[in-house]
Amino acid sequence: MSTATENTAPIIDVTDLRKAFGSNEVLKGIDLQVARGEVVSLIGPSGSGKSTILRCLNKLETPTSGTVVVDGFQLTDPKVDINQVRRHIGMVFQHFNLFPNMSVIENVMLGPVETGKSNKADARKQAAALLERVGLAEKADARPAQLSGGQKQRVAIARALAMEPQIMLFDEATSALDPEMVGEVLAVIRELAGSGMTLVLVTHEMGFAREVCDRVVFLSDGVICEQGKPEDVFGNPQQERTKEFLSKVL
Amino acid sequence: MHPRTARRGLRAALVGILAAFTLLVTTGPAQAAVTAPHHASNATAATAAGAATPKTDSAALQGVSPAKTVHADVKGKKFTIATDTTFAPFEFRKSGQLRGIDMDLLQAIAKKEGFTVDVQSLGFQAALSAVTSNQADGVIAGMSITDERKQTFDFSDPYFDSGVQMAILANDDSIKGYEDLKGKTVVAKSGSEGLAEAQKLSKQYDFKVKALDQSATMYETVKAGTAVAVFDDYPVLAYGIAQGNGLKVVTDKIPGGQYGFAVKKGKNAELLAAFNDGLKELKDSGEYQKILDTYLADPSAQSSAKANIFQLVGESWPALSEGLWNTVRITVVSFIIALILGLIFGFMKISTSRILRGIASVYVAIFRGTPVLVWAFLFYFGLPQITGLKGNIFWAGVATLALNAGAYLTEIIRGGLQAVDPGQMEASRSLGLTWGRSMRRVVVPQAVKISTPAIINQLVITLKDSSLLLTIGFAELLYQAQQIYSENFRTTEMLIIVGVMYFVVITLLTWLANAVDKRVNK
Repeated sequence: MSTATENTAPIIDVTDLRKAFGSNEVLKGIDLQVARGEVVSLIGPSGSGKSTILRCLNKLETPTSGTVVVDGFQLTDPKVDINQVRRHIGMVFQHFNLFPNMSVIENVMLGPVETGKSNKADARKQAAALLERVGLAEKADARPAQLSGGQKQRVAIARALAMEPQIMLFDEATSALDPEMVGEVLAVIRELAGSGMTLVLVTHEMGFAREVCDRVVFLSDGVICEQGKPEDVFGNPQQERTKEFLSKVL
Repeated sequence: MHPRTARRGLRAALVGILAAFTLLVTTGPAQAAVTAPHHASNATAATAAGAATPKTDSAALQGVSPAKTVHADVKGKKFTIATDTTFAPFEFRKSGQLRGIDMDLLQAIAKKEGFTVDVQSLGFQAALSAVTSNQADGVIAGMSITDERKQTFDFSDPYFDSGVQMAILANDDSIKGYEDLKGKTVVAKSGSEGLAEAQKLSKQYDFKVKALDQSATMYETVKAGTAVAVFDDYPVLAYGIAQGNGLKVVTDKIPGGQYGFAVKKGKNAELLAAFNDGLKELKDSGEYQKILDTYLADPSAQSSAKANIFQLVGESWPALSEGLWNTVRITVVSFIIALILGLIFGFMKISTSRILRGIASVYVAIFRGTPVLVWAFLFYFGLPQITGLKGNIFWAGVATLALNAGAYLTEIIRGGLQAVDPGQMEASRSLGLTWGRSMRRVVVPQAVKISTPAIINQLVITLKDSSLLLTIGFAELLYQAQQIYSENFRTTEMLIIVGVMYFVVITLLTWLANAVDKRVNK
């Protein structure tokens, strides 16, 4: 815990992370540090391992080898209670994964109530405030099925924020949205980025990455190919692979 | 509907299921309902059975002549006696009471000798099994005394001189004797003297013999034209014809068989001695002949105008409603246990442990891959022989249905759990919820919703499967119908009546289940 309280230490420290699915090695030795309050986006072609890195950060995937330290917790250590660590790491999924058997506000309340973080009354108050923050206060009692894609993703963000995490992970949060709904979700993420929270995004929104991120990490074939400030990576890429990728997406 | 209300609905449904389970298990005797009248009071049963000749019976039953030969060994004891379900005029059910020559003799002898009986109406083969497996102390079922049976049973003195006779359709003029049977098919009762005689004759006259289990079924087979003739015990045949079963006799009775009361070889000698003693007294007093005459003398006098189907429903309603209650009771109790089994094994099937998955797969393979009947017989007749405990028909039936339905529900629940998007579990785990809480709050409610139609389907199947328990003598709806048509020979009408009853109950149950589904799974 000592490192967690030292603001100078990176909040995420990944060393030689490898992940294989059967014989298919997806991550081939990743070293990545993220400072507290930093906003980092992972970009790269599909299959390059962006999402797998993100999922290793809250142990939705178990690394094959290497170490992942998040907020002072060594995730690969079996003694660490992963449920405790996950309470400090919010995650937003490409397909929202809202719980269809609950109302919008119950989706947001579930985490705090079920982990014993808050009682129901407090959780409801907090959830109402979060829905207000993402602009969906009037949808509190609606069912997820009644919402548009953009609204669903904003509820999903509110649901993750309800645990008051140190870190938020966004796994292609806008990829499944109709174009006209991307803006409303990005606006919420932009607001979070401005609040000083640590964010790691896997995204295909290059313009957005350039605008809000402190650092861009370009992955190719399971390794980090190039990283740096957005203006450098986007404006003056050094690697051939990066140039090639950017020429296709920009 | 508001989700919290839905959760309350689920909780209310669970409480309701628990209450129903307790109620159904605790109400009514756990034994087969058929035995109820005999449990109540031996004297009443005997009086009711002999109602046709009340004066002489009651005089004799009250022991006008001092019971000098009462066997001290059996006095005050209670014996379980197994019998057939369908062997009129020896045993049959009229207005819910078990009646017939066997029943009247048994009760009269019991009264004379000072013991009481608990009569179990099981079906012929099941009655024999019940004695050999020590489920019953004796069997009286119009059973012929044969050398083969003497290997397994000790017989009383013969109490009835029987014989076998052939019957054909009343309007069949083509058959005048055995020689006209050439190349044709006849039916006879499994394991009976009639079958033995028919097989003997079949060699001489070159016809085929098919064995069936019940007299009423055999007569229906002849009426339907599948067989041209039936070989059955003379008294049964005579009684059936008198009841208007649409058959006639063209050949003479083949003399032979004598009927005896039997106990398991080497056991219950004092019961056997008491039976012989009582029988002799009844013969001496002339009471024996009176009982026989009640059923066999001038049978045409007994046949009355045929009741229409509504009168038939009215007459049989007490027995049928009792059967319906037993059907619903055993179905609901079995299904609740099956749901629990399905949940346990369903979760084992999706677990990461190969051992747990293996256990669940073996369970499903065994109970899905074997007929319900096999387990019914194993649990009711087989298990008591292995464990030495007396079988309970209700719980043997519950075990049979619950384990069978549980196997299907395991697959239904596994399918439901696997049909929930894995992203749901990931989203819940990413919030810091444990696997168990994620299952309970997120995955299971959705799996239940997905599985509900298949679960309701299985409930309906289990209700219909419960009718198979009639083979071990559980007094469910179809069993009661068999009891009635074996006595009145209105087979088709009775089957239509119970068919409609099953249909109505299943339709109501489906509506109820769908209503619960709507409330819980909104």
